[in-house]
Amino acid sequence: MPPITEEPDLVDLKGRKILLVDDDRLNLRILRGMLKGEGYELTEADSSEAALDLYEEFQPDLVLLDVLLPGMSGFDACRELRKRHGTQTAPVIFITAKQEAESVVEGFTAGGVDYIMKPFRQKEVVARIRTHLQIRRLMSQQRALAEQLGRANAAKNKFLGMAAHDLRNPLASIRGLAEFLRDGTVGPLTPDQLELLDLIYQASQGMVTLVNDLLDVATIESGELKLEISPVALDELIEKSVALNGMEAARKNTRILFTRPASTPALSIDAAKIKQVVDNLLSNATKYSPPGSTVRVALCSLADGASTITVRDEGPGIPEGERDKLFKDFGRLSVQPTGGEKSTGLGLAICRKIVEAHRGTIVAENLPSRGCEFRVTLPVPTS
Amino acid sequence: MISIGKALIVDDEPHVRKYIGLVLRSIGVTTLVEAANGVEGFAAYQREKPDLVLLDVNMPVQDGLETLRQIRAFDPEASVVMLTSLTTRQTVETAVDQGALHYIRKDTPRDELIALLKQLLSENPDTEESN
Repeated sequence: MPPITEEPDLVDLKGRKILLVDDDRLNLRILRGMLKGEGYELTEADSSEAALDLYEEFQPDLVLLDVLLPGMSGFDACRELRKRHGTQTAPVIFITAKQEAESVVEGFTAGGVDYIMKPFRQKEVVARIRTHLQIRRLMSQQRALAEQLGRANAAKNKFLGMAAHDLRNPLASIRGLAEFLRDGTVGPLTPDQLELLDLIYQASQGMVTLVNDLLDVATIESGELKLEISPVALDELIEKSVALNGMEAARKNTRILFTRPASTPALSIDAAKIKQVVDNLLSNATKYSPPGSTVRVALCSLADGASTITVRDEGPGIPEGERDKLFKDFGRLSVQPTGGEKSTGLGLAICRKIVEAHRGTIVAENLPSRGCEFRVTLPVPTS
Repeated sequence: MISIGKALIVDDEPHVRKYIGLVLRSIGVTTLVEAANGVEGFAAYQREKPDLVLLDVNMPVQDGLETLRQIRAFDPEASVVMLTSLTTRQTVETAVDQGALHYIRKDTPRDELIALLKQLLSENPDTEESN
C-alpha cells in the first residue's frame, strides 16, 4: 500500500504549465512579462485551432484563452476542450476586454472558471492564475487520495473476508466436537469437566456468530452481495423464522406472536437473505425482551404491492440519542440483553444493507408505552 | 435410524473428518473411512465401496469436483454429498450437475446438520436399503 500523499504545498507552483492563447502578440508579451517571476512553463498559440492541437501535446495545467480569435472563438475552443477532456480539462481563464463584459456570462457557460480583463493588471493576473492552479492541484490530490482510500478499503475487506472464512470451519468443528463431548457420546464426564466444556461450547458459538457477521459485512462492503431473487411467500418465510426463534424465546418465557394477512402475494426477493433479516429482528427482540413478555410480528401488504414486516417488543426501547448508532457497523447500544446474550453489533447493519439491496427500507421507533418497533418495507421489484 | 453401513469422509482437515464422523455415527453409520485429499479419496472409494461419500470441495492434491467426476465415472450409482465452507452457488450447481446428491455447509450447527443428513438419506433410495 503506497503511503498517503504528503500535505499539499499551496505555495510552490513552479513548473506548472500554462497555455497562453491570443492572436495579439503584444498581449502575449505583456502576459509573459507579468508571469516571469512565477516560474511557470509557458507556451503560446495564436488561434483556437492551434491551441487545441497544442493542448494535447503540452498538457497544460491552465489555459489563458482570448475570447475574440480569428476562426473558432475562444468560447467554442473551451467547449471543445470540455467535450474532449470532461472534468479533467485544465481550468480555462478567459481574456476579455472591458467592453465585452456581457461575454463573461457566456464564458462561464462555456466551461471557463474565471476571466481577466484587458488592460491587464499584474497583481490580478498573478492572483487569479495562482488560485486556479492551486484548486486544480488540490482536486487532483483529492482524487488520488480517494482512489488510494478506495483501494485500501477493498484490501481491508478482502483481508477481513479471508480471515473470517479461514476461522469459520475450525470454529464450527470446535463447537461441534464440544457438543459431542458434552453429550457423553464418547464417554461420561465429571461435572467439573462438563462445566469447562459448556464454556468452550458457548465461547465457540459466540465466535461462530461473530465470524459469520464479519464475513457478511466483508461480502456486502466489497460489493459482492449478490441477491438470488425468486418469488417467495413471505408469510411462510416469517413462519419458519418464528418457529426457529420461538424456541430460544420460550427459554426466556417470551412468546412470539405472528399476525399474517388473509393472503400474501409472492414477492420477488432473496429468500435466504430476507430470512436472515427476519431472524435477526426476532432474535434481537427476544434478546431485549423482559421475561414473560410478547414479541409481535405482523406482515401487511400495502396498496402499491409493497410489503411491510413489523416486529414489536416490550423491552427497554432505543435509548434517546443512540438511534443513529442502531444500523451502523459495531453500533452497540447501552441497553443490555435481558438473558446475558451476546451481541456483535453487526446484525442490524447487515439487515440494513440487505434490505437496501432490495431497495427497501428499515426503520426503528420507540413505542409510546414501552418497547420498540422495527419496520421493514420491501417494494415490488421494478423490473 | 437410517442404515448405512459404511461412509467415506474426504477432507483435508482432521477436525472436520472427526466432527463429521461423529455426526455420521450419531445417525447410525457403523463404519467410517477417512481420506485427506481427492486422490486418496478416490483410491479409498475403489477399495472400500462405501454407501455414502462426504466430499470436501477445496482440497490440496486434487479437489472435490474432480474427485466427484472420478467416483461417478467409476460408479454411476455412488451417493456423494459435498462438504462446503462457503456456499458458492456455482460450485454447488456444478457438483449437482455431476451427480452429487446435495451439499452441506461445514459450519451448520450440529443438530441441523444431523437433521439435514437424516432427511437427505431417507429421501435417497440408494442409501435407504439396509446393508
